[in-house]
Amino acid sequence: MMSWVEPRDVRDWLRRVFALRPILLTLLISSIIILEMRFDWIERSIGAYLVTTNPSRPESGAIWEKGRRTLTARKTLEKIVTDRQVSQREARSASSLFKIAVSIAPGDGVMLSAERFRQLYLKVPPSIAQEIMSPFDLLQIASEGRWRRTYVEKTVSGLAVYLLDADNNVLFQIDVPSDVLMQLKREDTAPVETLEGLPNFEQRIYTAERFFEALKAFPEEMRRSMLPHPEKLLQISGRIVRVGISDEAVSGYIDLGFEVHDGNRPRVVLIPGHEWAVWRLRSFLEERGTSLNLSAESSENWRPK
Amino acid sequence: MTPATSLIRQTISLFYLALLLAGLATVWGVGFFFYAVRDLPRVPEPLSRIIETPPTEIFAATGERIMVLGGQEAVPLSRVSPHFIQAVIATEDHRFWEHHGVDKLRILKALWVTFFEPVKVQGASTITQQLAKNLFFSFRQTYTRKFREMLVALQIEARYSKRQILEAYLNQIPFGVGAHGIEQASRSFFGKPASELNLAEAALLAGLPKSPTRYNPYRHFQRAKERQKTVLVRMAAVGYINAEDVRRVFKTPLSIQPRSAETRTGSYFLDVVLKRLEERYGPEVLYHGGLKVMTTLDPQLQSLAVESLQVGLAKIDQILGITDQGKDDVNNSEMYPQGALAAVQTNSGAVSALVGGRDYSKSEFNRAIQHNRLPGSGFKPFLYYAALESLKSTPATLAVDKRVTIPVVGAPDWMPRNFDRTHEGPMILKQALMKSVNTIAAQLVEKTGPEAVIDVAQRSGIVSPLKPVYSVALGTSGVSPLEMASAFATFATGGIRHEPFFIRRVEDSLGRILQERIVGGKRVLDAGVTYQVIDMMQGVLDTGTGSVVRRLGFELPAAGKTGTTDDYHDAWFTGFTPNLSVCVWVGFDRGVGLRDVRGKGITGGRGAAPIWADFMIKATGGEPPREFTIPENIRFENLDPTTGTVADDWTRNPIRVALRNGQTITKPRQPSTIIEEDLSPE
Repeated sequence: MMSWVEPRDVRDWLRRVFALRPILLTLLISSIIILEMRFDWIERSIGAYLVTTNPSRPESGAIWEKGRRTLTARKTLEKIVTDRQVSQREARSASSLFKIAVSIAPGDGVMLSAERFRQLYLKVPPSIAQEIMSPFDLLQIASEGRWRRTYVEKTVSGLAVYLLDADNNVLFQIDVPSDVLMQLKREDTAPVETLEGLPNFEQRIYTAERFFEALKAFPEEMRRSMLPHPEKLLQISGRIVRVGISDEAVSGYIDLGFEVHDGNRPRVVLIPGHEWAVWRLRSFLEERGTSLNLSAESSENWRPK
Repeated sequence: MTPATSLIRQTISLFYLALLLAGLATVWGVGFFFYAVRDLPRVPEPLSRIIETPPTEIFAATGERIMVLGGQEAVPLSRVSPHFIQAVIATEDHRFWEHHGVDKLRILKALWVTFFEPVKVQGASTITQQLAKNLFFSFRQTYTRKFREMLVALQIEARYSKRQILEAYLNQIPFGVGAHGIEQASRSFFGKPASELNLAEAALLAGLPKSPTRYNPYRHFQRAKERQKTVLVRMAAVGYINAEDVRRVFKTPLSIQPRSAETRTGSYFLDVVLKRLEERYGPEVLYHGGLKVMTTLDPQLQSLAVESLQVGLAKIDQILGITDQGKDDVNNSEMYPQGALAAVQTNSGAVSALVGGRDYSKSEFNRAIQHNRLPGSGFKPFLYYAALESLKSTPATLAVDKRVTIPVVGAPDWMPRNFDRTHEGPMILKQALMKSVNTIAAQLVEKTGPEAVIDVAQRSGIVSPLKPVYSVALGTSGVSPLEMASAFATFATGGIRHEPFFIRRVEDSLGRILQERIVGGKRVLDAGVTYQVIDMMQGVLDTGTGSVVRRLGFELPAAGKTGTTDDYHDAWFTGFTPNLSVCVWVGFDRGVGLRDVRGKGITGGRGAAPIWADFMIKATGGEPPREFTIPENIRFENLDPTTGTVADDWTRNPIRVALRNGQTITKPRQPSTIIEEDLSPE
């Protein structure tokens, strides 16, 4: 029983101090302290507890922030690399120079091997290939032995092709303008038999006679802008029956479609004209109210001389 | 009550009071524990995750690694010198192997010092606590942060072995000069792996993390040595070594390797590279994406450029009468003239060296790129090209150095004066450029119009906005040294322009190409006319305003032009060989002209050309002479510079001029009529 009366003398004090309970209490406290100093049990307990709560705690602090940034960086890089690889893959599997041009976004480019470019160049019809680059120039560069790779870049005015050495120095630069690209596009597109097969020409199909009469009304210089390569039409066997004007302008050019009959089956030949000039021709034709949708039989034939 | 009773009573009271306080402290501690634990950060598993970030590495054109950003070069504990491990443990936390995250005795000692010896500071953080702080917490000193840091340390100790903790710690501690982790530090300071560190080196490195700036051995070697001694003494106190070892090791000479480009904390060239990478990829990718960046930097040329500029500026300091006093004071940096140097490979546009000021550590402002200063007469080559291209003039055309007044619509008449305020009368255009005669340049720009000059400058590579006024021909629109070097490189290649660039290729950490430079040139100037301008500019070096270059011993074929602006605010020299185009600018950042102690101004020929010469002599050392390519339509004539007639044996100081096919030498006439006739538009 605890005595609540203050001890009266030293002996009483000593008896109370050295009683069982105080000694046990002192021993308990001392052993707690000694055991903590010896075995770090508080630290261990707290540490063990914190380990159990670790998964539910926030990912905060410098190391996690760094981790997040690293993740963002990896994702960004992966996207850049993937886009580039897709573009390269498309370019490598493309069957023509035009298809490569289609696969590249403006301002971007793809790297091809020298051999791959040579293959693509050989697929281009000789008349267009000559416009892109003289085969003799290509032969000379190939024979020098420095040409390793080719960089094809989409530009505002068409394509820029750089023939490169191993250190990426440009050995030769080729500019492929938009009108040549359109010619390449035509070579790539499956042949169409009549102008009705081309939706872009709907409502703008005229008889050959009317078309060439309208063309004749313009001065020679203007006509050259409307139909820059008339000699190509002259090379075609057969007769031109109808002419259509596309409503789609690409890089400042609009296609003119010439429907040609040569006795076997009809076909359409496309030739690009300068946009501004073709619009004037079209306005002229429409002002005259000559916009027709005539069949080949009802039109008067016009044969190039 | 007897005294003994009283004493016992007080003792008992104190005991219970202490017990009460301890109880209260325990209750408060438990409450604070749960408060602090609420948003305690999660510890990553495994701990090695902290070293998984790949570093972004920047390489010079030679393949030498010049900078590492982010990431850590981690090594297992088995590949770290035991000397270093002992040194770190003895210095930072000698009871590391015994405690369980916190060192209670050290805390008690620190508390004692804090309360009873306020002047002294005693740290008590264990290695584990330092690791926790570095991984999760800011460096703001608060009791809450300290407590949370301690809790994380306890968790780390409970989850990981001592070896794992030590390994993580050693691989992330900062040593300064951009080195994080022992492997990077060992390679940066001693050029060897961490496993090969000897005791002296280990002791030096172990002392750095306490204050990497204060003990930076490159800047404060003596302090670093003192710190090394402290580490050695600690090692002896802990029992790793004995007193004799301390003395012996302290005397061991340290072979700290010269500060390589990689350990440089920053440079003007790298700043440009980082800025361009950040603009293209963003800061996350740059600092955490592990890019491999191949730059155009030539480390040898870069160090020569830094050296030449610093030596040249020191000489200018002497000429200006500026003493060394206060030179280290950053705030006083405006008291000293600054300088910039840009070196561009002419055949590609690759920037080989770039120095944007006299000391990057004092001013990071890049004067080679960001500082558009008036080029003065340095702009005249563009005028002369425009004149040779659009007028009937040739380098042999006779003009008159005289007072000129050029009417300007809507503004006062323009009356340019020569630099020396004198007039020499008739002379051929080549001589006029060599002597940098302003009055003849003014007559030329009046004929060509400023637009023609601007057109040539822009075609050549000047991109800064240029004002369409007559005086543009005398360099009154600001341009940067890099622009000048790049535009003059277009002359050096005979008129083919290459865009200046710093980065050749960028790859990701797996070696996949992200970006590569296509090095292509575009003809922007006529080869024949360009050669005529080159020939005239060769005259500037041989006998004209830049002849100091020859006097200083630079002998290779080269061309260039000096430039000095009003009141000597800017001194320029831009020159080139067929391979390398280099521009040097010298001047105060603002307000003050370059004048020597006698008040005489410092021109481009006196201030910038010697720096150019010093750099070029070293940069081209051992190169065989290579002449500029002479186009087929060029022929040469020796002329009398004052009459423009073909020189004979009696002609004094004849000048060789380059003429294009079809250009003829005029017969002697009255100079005043020649100007009107020969400078008329073609």
